[in-house]
Amino acid sequence: MRTRRKNGQQAVAYHQRLEKTDLIEIYRRLWFARLFDEALYDAKKKGRLRRGNVYSSRGQEAIMVGTTYPLRPDDFVSPIHRDMPVFVFRGMPLEQVMCQIWGKAEAPTRGKDSWSHMGDMDLGIVHSTSMLGSTIAVACGVLWAQRLDGRRDRVLVAYTGEGATATGPFHEGLNFAAVHKLPLIVVVENNQYAYSTPVELEVPTKTVAERALGYGIPGYSIDGNDFNAVYDTMCEALAHARAGNGPVLIECVTYRLQGHADHDETRARRYRPVEEIEMWEKRDPLPRYRQYLLRTGLFTEADLPEPPLDIKEQIERAIAYAISSPDPEPHTALEDIYDERAGVSL
Amino acid sequence: MREVTFLEAIRLALWEEMERDPNVFLIGEDIGRMGGAFGVTEGFLERFGPDRVIDAPISETAIIATCVGAAAAGKRGVAEMQFIDFISYGFDQVVNVAGTYLYRSGGKTPIPIVVRGPSGGYVGGSLYHSQQFEAWFFHTPGLKVVQPAFPDDAYGLMKASIRDNNPVIFYEHKYLYRRIKGPIPEAHEDYIVKLGSARIRRYGDDITVIAYGAMVHFALEAAQHLEKEGISLEVIDLRTIKPLDMKTILESVRKTSKVLIVYEAPKTGGVGAEIAARIAERAFEWLDAPIMRVAAKDSFVPFAEPLEKFVLPSVEEIVFAARELAAY
Repeated sequence: MRTRRKNGQQAVAYHQRLEKTDLIEIYRRLWFARLFDEALYDAKKKGRLRRGNVYSSRGQEAIMVGTTYPLRPDDFVSPIHRDMPVFVFRGMPLEQVMCQIWGKAEAPTRGKDSWSHMGDMDLGIVHSTSMLGSTIAVACGVLWAQRLDGRRDRVLVAYTGEGATATGPFHEGLNFAAVHKLPLIVVVENNQYAYSTPVELEVPTKTVAERALGYGIPGYSIDGNDFNAVYDTMCEALAHARAGNGPVLIECVTYRLQGHADHDETRARRYRPVEEIEMWEKRDPLPRYRQYLLRTGLFTEADLPEPPLDIKEQIERAIAYAISSPDPEPHTALEDIYDERAGVSL
Repeated sequence: MREVTFLEAIRLALWEEMERDPNVFLIGEDIGRMGGAFGVTEGFLERFGPDRVIDAPISETAIIATCVGAAAAGKRGVAEMQFIDFISYGFDQVVNVAGTYLYRSGGKTPIPIVVRGPSGGYVGGSLYHSQQFEAWFFHTPGLKVVQPAFPDDAYGLMKASIRDNNPVIFYEHKYLYRRIKGPIPEAHEDYIVKLGSARIRRYGDDITVIAYGAMVHFALEAAQHLEKEGISLEVIDLRTIKPLDMKTILESVRKTSKVLIVYEAPKTGGVGAEIAARIAERAFEWLDAPIMRVAAKDSFVPFAEPLEKFVLPSVEEIVFAARELAAY
């Protein structure tokens, strides 16, 4: 994979500054993302999850962990459907995430919406919708509010797919952010397919990162399956954005190892060549990071179990919690349409 | 009391809310340096600075989205659509993003935004500077829709809309901007018109005329005319289209037993259709005649004067319809 950097320079190797405890935590997070995915696919297959789709992030773990790890607690994120673990990394209790997936009363949306369409402004998690590009424009407003409050160094990381870069709000949002130098970092998870449509039918340029040229902002096209590449680029982008230099576009080149969602597994094997899937299986970010950790000499094989202990149990406990937690009352479907704390009722 | 134009009433409401609450900001095309295409925001940039009076690129999506995101983070943005027709560019932000936000945040994140702009015909604006597509938003849960007819209401409703915790689409009929003058309260009176409250602008006994925006003035003119013929119209100015003040409507209908609904938008599927349905559901036994509607023809608003006149409703049409109802 080619790594294209601004002005042809290599980024600082920020990852080399991480402590041993960080490395273990990163390793656990990568595995958490993988096991989260597997647990939900399993729950859907076995009928424990009866409603809604499961959108796999298998193979995209390095992006989620690498883009969130260097963030400050007061930064913002707007995760999309293949970023479920990001909610947890940014402080949302795992039980709440599972309640959201199971459509329970305790979920952040109280069962109103599903999967990733949730947020929590107290945690700096901005709510996204199914129209992935639209949140990039909304991000401008969140950042404008920070400007009004004199907090110009809070960064917002907006995730999106390569397909959504073809939508209007992607352009309007980035254009606005660039004109006003808002600290917006757009992370494009280029997993090669928007549902079934390959990237070359979504994007006319060789890389998605080239779109940045139109906004006069830095654009990176990096190996999204290499944690260190993602982490280093993110650190560089954060420094740029925090210093008031405006937005950054990071294209993380990766691959969607599964179908668009769990219902799509059979067809996804037809609209994509098997050799392509097999090739990307070999680029799995998890063993790659493990190899890196071993090469540092700081760890032995035994230090890095595959998977690390306790994570599966933690996820299973949260699923069990969600399953046994109460469903929303039917009448609550008509709540939260209007906020009458400062208005009149219908 | 201050005697001001319809436009000045809106300008003063925005100005006073900006003075009152530092969380309020304005965003739109040409609203800063130029003061807006119609001059509604003249002098704002100088007083409040570029962080609160944002000259945005031509990006209705980004303009509305900036208000939405800022609202999620505790601010109150007012977006100007240079012409309300252009809201179609930002439709997804209004309907799918702003409208649903509170719902999908489990009631935690209200979106107090106002999307305002000049609407309506009768000025030769043609297809994209004349529309009244309030029915789009009337049909959408989570939104409120406002259209005043008089300066005092424009003033009080704009203040209420900015303070309301929900997305409000605020229609300002451009035909009224400089034609209509009237008294508004002084700033210190903190005058507010509650959203969702209609106002009877003329009391009468024979026919209830329900209207909003410029159509209120047409209805009042028709009422004056018909008075000489002994037909007495009661004219209700809805002021807020959503939520609808059904209480005021039904009380009047039960008194007059005849209903004429007047709206400037295409007749089919318009706000008047819903009002007619609700009256039929809830006051059928009080009715002495079919519910009638005067609205625009199911067309676009054309440019040439004879064409525009043919499509849009007129005082004459209201007079004819009222006579028909009176004779029924």
